[in-house]
Amino acid sequence: MGGLLSYFRGLFGSREMRILILGLDGAGKTTILYRLQVGEVVTTIPTIGFNVEQVQYKNLKFQVWDLGGQTSIRPYWRCYYSNTDAIIYVVDSADKERIGISKDELFHMLREEELQEAILVVLANKQDMAGCMSVAEVHQALGLDALKNRTFQIFKTSATKGEGLDQAMDWLANALQNRK
Amino acid sequence: MTDSKYFTTTKKGEIFELKSELNNDKKEKKKEAVKKVIASMTVGKDVSALFPDVVNCMQTDNLELKKLVYLYLMNYAKSQPDMAIMAVNTFVKDCEDPNPLIRALAVRTMGCIRVDKITEYLCEPLRKCLKDEDPYVRKTAAVCVAKLYDISSSLVEDQGFLDQLKDLLSDSNPMVVANAVAALSEINESSPTGQPLVEFNTNTINKLLTALNECTEWGQVFILDSLANYNPKDDREAQSICERITPRLAHANAAVVLSAIKVLMKLMEILAGDNDFCSTLTKKLAPPLVTLLSSEPEVQYVALRNINLIVQKRPDILKHEMKVFFVKYNDPIYVKLEKLDIMIRLASQANIAQVLSELKEYATEVDVDFVRKAVRAIGRCAIKVEPSAERCVSTLLDLIQTKVNYVVQEAIVVIKDIFRKYPNKYESIISTLCENLDTLDEPEARASMVWIIGEYAERIDNADELLDSFLEGFADENAQVQLQLLTAVVKLFLKRPAHTQALVQHVLSLATQDSDNPDLRDRGFIYWRLLSTDPAAAKEVVLADKPLISEETDLLEPTLLDELICHISSLASVYHKPPTAFVEGRSAGVRKSLPARQGSVEDTTVHAEATVIPNQESLIGDLLSMDIGSTIPTATTITAPQSNVDLLGGGLDSLLGGGGAEAPNVSAPSTTGLLGDIFGMPTTSSMYVPPKGCWLPAEKGKGLEIWGTFSRRNGQISMDLTFTNKAMQAMNGFAIQFNKNSFGISPAAPLSIGTIQPGQSLEASLGLSTTGPIQRMEPLTTLQVAVKNNVDIFYYACQIPIQILFTDDGQLDKRVFLTTWKDIPAANEVQYTLNEIKGTSDTLAAKMAQNNIFTIAKRNVEGQDMLYQSLKLTNNIWVLLELKLQPGITHATLSLKSRSVEVATPIFQAYEAILKSA
Repeated sequence: MGGLLSYFRGLFGSREMRILILGLDGAGKTTILYRLQVGEVVTTIPTIGFNVEQVQYKNLKFQVWDLGGQTSIRPYWRCYYSNTDAIIYVVDSADKERIGISKDELFHMLREEELQEAILVVLANKQDMAGCMSVAEVHQALGLDALKNRTFQIFKTSATKGEGLDQAMDWLANALQNRK
Repeated sequence: MTDSKYFTTTKKGEIFELKSELNNDKKEKKKEAVKKVIASMTVGKDVSALFPDVVNCMQTDNLELKKLVYLYLMNYAKSQPDMAIMAVNTFVKDCEDPNPLIRALAVRTMGCIRVDKITEYLCEPLRKCLKDEDPYVRKTAAVCVAKLYDISSSLVEDQGFLDQLKDLLSDSNPMVVANAVAALSEINESSPTGQPLVEFNTNTINKLLTALNECTEWGQVFILDSLANYNPKDDREAQSICERITPRLAHANAAVVLSAIKVLMKLMEILAGDNDFCSTLTKKLAPPLVTLLSSEPEVQYVALRNINLIVQKRPDILKHEMKVFFVKYNDPIYVKLEKLDIMIRLASQANIAQVLSELKEYATEVDVDFVRKAVRAIGRCAIKVEPSAERCVSTLLDLIQTKVNYVVQEAIVVIKDIFRKYPNKYESIISTLCENLDTLDEPEARASMVWIIGEYAERIDNADELLDSFLEGFADENAQVQLQLLTAVVKLFLKRPAHTQALVQHVLSLATQDSDNPDLRDRGFIYWRLLSTDPAAAKEVVLADKPLISEETDLLEPTLLDELICHISSLASVYHKPPTAFVEGRSAGVRKSLPARQGSVEDTTVHAEATVIPNQESLIGDLLSMDIGSTIPTATTITAPQSNVDLLGGGLDSLLGGGGAEAPNVSAPSTTGLLGDIFGMPTTSSMYVPPKGCWLPAEKGKGLEIWGTFSRRNGQISMDLTFTNKAMQAMNGFAIQFNKNSFGISPAAPLSIGTIQPGQSLEASLGLSTTGPIQRMEPLTTLQVAVKNNVDIFYYACQIPIQILFTDDGQLDKRVFLTTWKDIPAANEVQYTLNEIKGTSDTLAAKMAQNNIFTIAKRNVEGQDMLYQSLKLTNNIWVLLELKLQPGITHATLSLKSRSVEVATPIFQAYEAILKSA
């Protein structure tokens, strides 16, 4: 029965999935967004504000919001929480100093009522950098063990090289389709 | 659940519905929702709560939706300054959009978002747009620079936008050039220093002149306006600019024509030496001005106001065009009145006959204001064109015969002026005038008639009867008429003393005893005393030859005229007021002036504030000009003949006598205050207290006069005041307040004085504290004071003698003095020469010490005494001084060093005062 339903859902194209890409400034959010959209690395400048793009992955349509990570912009993330299906949380694996702040922002965000149903994908980005933290270390540093009742997965990625993004998106697409 | 739930937004209502629609996936729905939001916005509903949701619709490829969102942003960014940052990235992206319309739209909207926090992020996109390949984007960006300058001038200067704008002056597209020029002019005008930030040179001017022929009409206006601000380096350049601009005079747009005329008027000033060139140019200027008068009335009015300036500056231009200024029956009244004004300015012997017949015609129209002005114009013609005076007078007489009330009154007013211009020439008409005495009901006409009667009293047989008839209702007359009556009766008395003694006594008593108008009372007393002391002198004074009135009393003052000529084709030229007078926040800008007169347009603001220590001349002068009304209680003594005393002596005597009589009820310091100054009596307090100055003269204080000074006794600063009530009623309910000032001086306690009876003086000492609000004043020591009583609130400014702010603990240790002296940079040193110093260095040092200026060390170098002194102000500013004295020589050199060197001037004044006090 479930298979049939999902078949119909696929048939009508269903509605666009709303995805937020969040993370501290300089983590690589905008680069990931355009990597997903056009499949290329574009030169980016710090995003003061937001970007929004339609991304087609497999047969799924996403409306992806990339919000700036500057301290001054983080308070406005919550304006974008409602109706969000998934969050892609990007972490700069090479930035050991601010991983704590990244963790605080993550948990602060996950406490929001509007995001209780959202699926979480953590991307340990910039894995190509020398001396960066491994996925396990990032997992540890973000304290992801403490997450209960949340569909989530962590991936190691390198947005500039395009590594790891496909797995992450595969997982996310599946997770979104299997929801409910 | 906490109570915070009550404050969360409701899930109902219009705003909530709009919110959910804005977040709809469907683009059409979104667009509809944004349209609804804009509609609510335009009718004044507050939809600022939707800011984040609207901003989220911003990134769209739909131009219509984008425009709507931009519109919303311009309106609400100010109310959501923090949230506005979310829009920055979209602007940045849109400025790189392949569609030039979107790029321009983005850069224009950016300029309209006046939020400090995001301006710096917008500099980079703006820079790109200034170099955009599309001229539409470049020209929009140019204007955006001017907008940004208004928000943050420093940002524009630091980011080099001014240079980029300058580069745009050589752009290939004329509209870009025009907009760049417009932006630069606006920036130059709002430059805080008043100095233009970007100066044009020959090169740029040539580029502008090239662009002038190709760009739109409004672009031409911008270019011409900035050409008007340029001063050519020589006559040749000025001539070539003239030649290239002249074709603009034939343009269909009135603004272009007027701007071109402005430039030419200015350049003609430079080329004044070249007569041939100027006269050809003059000929070329007339036709376009005449053409402007055939446009619709509003444009005509603007043109006329400008022409009014032009004919005052260069009457030659339109001297042959009188006819176009003749009033048409269907002109609106404002055009008629303005035309009339110009007609008078252009009136000359050549055209006076024509003008007079026109004016006579106008005087029979129906519009009262217009008729009045026409009658007045006839009078002005008589004064201006001497040979026509006779004809004008007869025209006026004809008009008086019409017996139309307001025509008669107006005619009498101008005939008075004609009498003043041509004395003893037209008295024959006086009898006709006298016939109309009863119909006059306006003060100005009545006053004019009374003046005529007084002036020609010896020729009017029944002058005494006529004046007597006026006196019956003396109390009900307007002050203007009362004054004229008083003077006229005195004239009559001096001319025909035999039968008019009773009349003059009657009017003098009316003026001095029954009137509460101080001007009238004063004049009455002066006449009274003049007549009782020396009638011969009175004759000389009252019947003296009067200066002839000048032909043009209504001309604009030349420097103002020159300034307004520079503002032709702007509001200033319509108001006939400099822009500083009606544009807020433009006071800092430099006033424009015509090149040839540059030197004379410097602002000569006369500082009329009381100086710290008035010298004796000015003080005696003040006393003389003092209101003689102070002796009202003893007025009877004045009428008693005072033989062998001239007016001056009598005035001083009674004044000093009055002062003496007051002495018993004033305390000790006031005697030294008032009389002490005149006689140079030593002050009793050890610390130098400047003599009291008159802070609020009685005429400004509605009878309340305030004299005052500042003192410091035992470390307590106070303001010593003498209040004198010169009004007829008792005053009470006194209170005092200070404006914010440089030293935070404020009253320590409320002013405690009770009721002051008429003629009484009261002393008050107001303790001051230095802990009040601080605001830098210019000059530094200015203190603005408001005094309130039961009559009104009065404002005056006085200067704080800075020595009262010297504290007791101003003595520095020798070593500290030495190191501080070295530490303070040489730039903070000011020198001053003190003259007429008496006494040895020791007595001087002692005198300084009494005033809290402490001598730290004394040295003798090559026969010169060097005193090293320090003092401290109440606001903890330390001042270090070196006083160089040479025994036997009366001048001394004073060097001052301080971190806050702006206190130097008042301190020098304090030194002068202290050293010269006995």
